[in-house]
Amino acid sequence: MGLPCSPVVTQRFLDVARTITYKKGMPNQRIIYVPHPVSGRPAEVVRNHLLGNDPVTGKPILDELIAALTKPLNAEEKKTGFVTRPARPRLLDPDTPTNLQRMMSKNGWTDGLPIVLPTEERVAAMLKGTSHGRDEIVGTMRPSPPHEAWEYTVEMVAANAVMAGAQPEHFPVILALASTGVTSLFSSTTSFARMVVVSGPIREEIKMNGGIGALGPFNEANAVIGRAWTLISKNLGGAIAGETYMGGQGNNLNYNNVCIPENEEALPAGWKPLHVQKGFKPGESVVSTFTGWSLINHAGRAARDKEAFKQLLVSLSASGMGMGGSQAMILLDPLVARDLRESFDTKEKFSAWLIQNPGAPTGSPGFGSAIEILVVGGEANPCLTIGDFTYVSSASIDKWR
Amino acid sequence: MQGGKAVKKRINQTLIGIMLVAGILAATASLAQEAKVAVLNPRGALPLIRLVPMAPRLDTLDGKTVYLIAASFAVPLMPELQKVMAEKYPKTTWVLKNKPGSYFDDDPALWAEAKEKSSAVIMGVGH
Repeated sequence: MGLPCSPVVTQRFLDVARTITYKKGMPNQRIIYVPHPVSGRPAEVVRNHLLGNDPVTGKPILDELIAALTKPLNAEEKKTGFVTRPARPRLLDPDTPTNLQRMMSKNGWTDGLPIVLPTEERVAAMLKGTSHGRDEIVGTMRPSPPHEAWEYTVEMVAANAVMAGAQPEHFPVILALASTGVTSLFSSTTSFARMVVVSGPIREEIKMNGGIGALGPFNEANAVIGRAWTLISKNLGGAIAGETYMGGQGNNLNYNNVCIPENEEALPAGWKPLHVQKGFKPGESVVSTFTGWSLINHAGRAARDKEAFKQLLVSLSASGMGMGGSQAMILLDPLVARDLRESFDTKEKFSAWLIQNPGAPTGSPGFGSAIEILVVGGEANPCLTIGDFTYVSSASIDKWR
Repeated sequence: MQGGKAVKKRINQTLIGIMLVAGILAATASLAQEAKVAVLNPRGALPLIRLVPMAPRLDTLDGKTVYLIAASFAVPLMPELQKVMAEKYPKTTWVLKNKPGSYFDDDPALWAEAKEKSSAVIMGVGH
């Protein structure tokens, strides 16, 4: 703008504010801090904050605001040029496996669980899972729009895939995920979760599980692909707790990002697989991402009574889940899907019928369609899982074979 | 005498035996220590940061207009700030503007308006 400007930020976001202004090339930005929180607080409380002292500097807030706009710039504040950033070595300093595990965990480069160390040999083996060269740029990722984007190559993604415990046959899926540039660890204080759904022939090729226990810890491919996305989001996408990730309580779903294949073989006649709904051919292998916060397992009346679905959706919306109840996703066990097929010959018709009802999710701007329907599960019980997730993007896995 | 020599010989043999065992144990312990390995750096490449020089400051706010821009979650912070500033600094015009959308969203129209109609900006990002 070319105008003197000063941001006012609550104290809790000190590290975030300093990080963002530094990475935007304004390391000396004159930021004023007020006590936290202010949102929704009584006006009198906020007024008293403003008449008091900056909790970081101890100086009167009003004096600081005036000074921020009027005190002449010093030499540092007038500087131009580039900030020197540490060089990125390709290899870390050699150390014992025990020390490397501890170092990586301490630095926040893992999910807190032991990782498989990315030695040259293991990464070379992983790279055999793709025809793409190790130095090819896969994409960039940032924790959220204000933050800087980090760039990464096929080799960097391979290192994280090794760390997650993946095998070379999983690598095209992981590369496809990385190519979306979508982080699994979004910055928001509301603690977002993500979901990843794999579609097409690759599900069988790499033996993913869309049957009994699909959402649980019972399958290597489901586990390591979801885990790799978390590690990629930290190490290649810049998600750092307290600095660029501010989820107040965090979200347990982030460990694996609900990585599942759709049980396409169990889809009722006329119900298209997810990737076909998104414009891909049935024979293509595709990875899709979703964003939301929560999943609820429901084995109640709605699973046997389509009218009860309406009540379930309205309850979800009324509870405020998912951006004030604007979005939803339903994972149907094949038993439930078959029952619903008697009334709805496509997923879209079922979704449209649900949205008609007052109080049902209707979508929100920028967050895509209101209700996504997937079929997953092993027909042990006519259950369903409902959540406040909405579709984000899809990417071809075949491109990365 | 001969008995004493035999005892001495036995003690020496025992000591030598103990030293041998100790040496073997030390060598084994040394072999059991982890060998160092080299691993690839899992971190991504950081972009260049170009320094953005700060805009010159104002000599005084008297007679000037300052925009108070409220981004997400900045209520009641910025409305209260407008009231307080107007009370304490009545020679300055304090204009409250709400920035629509989230604080992630760019708003070129609002920045253009601020540049045209104000001399400085205080932007509140709440929570």
